[in-house]
Amino acid sequence: MSTAAAPGSRSQRSWAGRPVTFGRVLRSEWIKTATVPSTVILLAVSFAVMVGLGALVAWGIVQLASDPESGPPEGIGQSLQTAAYDVPSAGLPFGQLLIAALAVVLIGSEYTTGMIRSTMVAVPTRIPALLAKTLVIAVISFLVGVLAAFTTYLLAQPILGGSDLDFGLEADGVLPSIINTGTVLALIAIMGVGIGALLRNTAGGVVTLVGALFVLPIIAGLLTGLADWVEDAARFLPSSAAGQLVATQVQPGQFNQVEGGLILAGWAVVLLAAAILVLRKRDV
Amino acid sequence: MIEARELAKRYGGKTAVDGVSFSVQPGRVTGFLGPNGAGKSTTMRLIVGLDHPTSGTVTVNGKPYARHRMPLHEVGALLEAKAVHPRRSAYNHLRALAATEGISTKRVNEVIELTGLGPVARKRVGGFSLGMGQRLGIAAALLGDPQTLILDEPVNGLDPEGVKWVRYLVKGLAAEGRTVFISSHLMSEMAVTADHLIVIGRGRILADAPIETVLTGGQAERVLVRTDDADGLAAAVAAAGVEIRREAADELTVLGLSARSIAEAAFARGILITGLIPQQETLEDAYMELTGGEVEYQSQQIGAQAFPANEGQSE
Repeated sequence: MSTAAAPGSRSQRSWAGRPVTFGRVLRSEWIKTATVPSTVILLAVSFAVMVGLGALVAWGIVQLASDPESGPPEGIGQSLQTAAYDVPSAGLPFGQLLIAALAVVLIGSEYTTGMIRSTMVAVPTRIPALLAKTLVIAVISFLVGVLAAFTTYLLAQPILGGSDLDFGLEADGVLPSIINTGTVLALIAIMGVGIGALLRNTAGGVVTLVGALFVLPIIAGLLTGLADWVEDAARFLPSSAAGQLVATQVQPGQFNQVEGGLILAGWAVVLLAAAILVLRKRDV
Repeated sequence: MIEARELAKRYGGKTAVDGVSFSVQPGRVTGFLGPNGAGKSTTMRLIVGLDHPTSGTVTVNGKPYARHRMPLHEVGALLEAKAVHPRRSAYNHLRALAATEGISTKRVNEVIELTGLGPVARKRVGGFSLGMGQRLGIAAALLGDPQTLILDEPVNGLDPEGVKWVRYLVKGLAAEGRTVFISSHLMSEMAVTADHLIVIGRGRILADAPIETVLTGGQAERVLVRTDDADGLAAAVAAAGVEIRREAADELTVLGLSARSIAEAAFARGILITGLIPQQETLEDAYMELTGGEVEYQSQQIGAQAFPANEGQSE
């Protein structure tokens, strides 16, 4: 057989590869993320749910303010304004569930489909692939969060205007709250990647993370009366920390925005670090 | 070149690869033959670092696979059909892998054409047949124009035309001086594709030799002789290192002597030979001889495992 006719021959010189770098792995992970339908669907649904929920909350506030029977009593007007400031981030509790699911699905499906073996043969040092995937998912989650919160803000103004509750971006804590809606989703996404990589299973990962975000706070709420420490501990739950990170006003005795952010980041870092340690050791 | 030294892998209590040492040389097709569960796939996974060895080492061109800066350029591996996300298209799958080493879209399209995936490249891999999945796996293996190819059961699920294509492909790649390591349980396929054979059974290397040597069962020559005076001939050829088997009243199998030596011995004693047939062992015979014990062992294993399962059902 002649060399020229041989397939994949070096003499063809069409191959032009370069060493693996983090930038190239990042690009690979971006292609992977953008080319599965679940990414687009879950991002679109997250956006729609967050904006829809925010608009609904805005409408609810207006209903409360314009209730002809009770009328806005003294003092309530102030708290309604605060509630209005929180409208842009109002969709977060559901948005974070969907983003958590997206993150778990994106890493978990690597394992359930066998794709992880292709990935790890291409990036045999393993850790860059996990970090690149984490970064891609965190960034798109951040963007979706900010975009959804800002869209909600715009959509809510005409609704709130009916009761003179509309406000500008410069209002107390509003702009940080909009941006931190993205921060929360990014950190939740990192937790999702960590859990997905640890469990290597899409369904199990989603259940675990939804449990941590949704069920644990409910259990904590039920147990609050039993011991003082339960309430203290519950403040460290990811969902509570996320709530504090996007709060426009901090209630006395609660963590402030920075503290909330650090607690949530702590969860994300611990889970990702555990995932890295396990990925290094375990067979694929 | 692939070099394994005392390579071993245990999963829990089960030993998959039991301290194997071998080297796979460039410029020829090395077949990796063994029954199911013999440790072929595990060995290949150890080579590319998907599994960590329990003990021992394996290197590709002098370095552990993970130490290479351009791993896809070093080794092209087909380890399992469909190590692919089923909702992604073949084209995007290859593009994502190519991106890790900045491999051009041109090369992606080239391997798609080369493997005959053109018509289905934009379709989701989930709908691919087993054969198409294999072609995609081979396309991914060729993407980085690798010096070493590791193909686990590449002809699995391929149609006859595809089988021929793989044979042509791997021989061509070896002829270019590349290292080609190809596993199969199809002994007949190995006989026409491989230049060198490594036979594995129950995690141990049973043979590591050129294919002709394996075919003839070591160097021992084997000749079937027909003669009216079988006893006389047996006496005539009897010597150290010669084995004689009585096949029938007028038939002997002589191992360790050439046909000519047998004829000369018979001629010297005046014994008439009516048939003198040099035997070539088929690869199947050699393979069964080498792995026979292992296959038996496996059947027992399956039986042992089935028993507790039945108990569970009856409860």
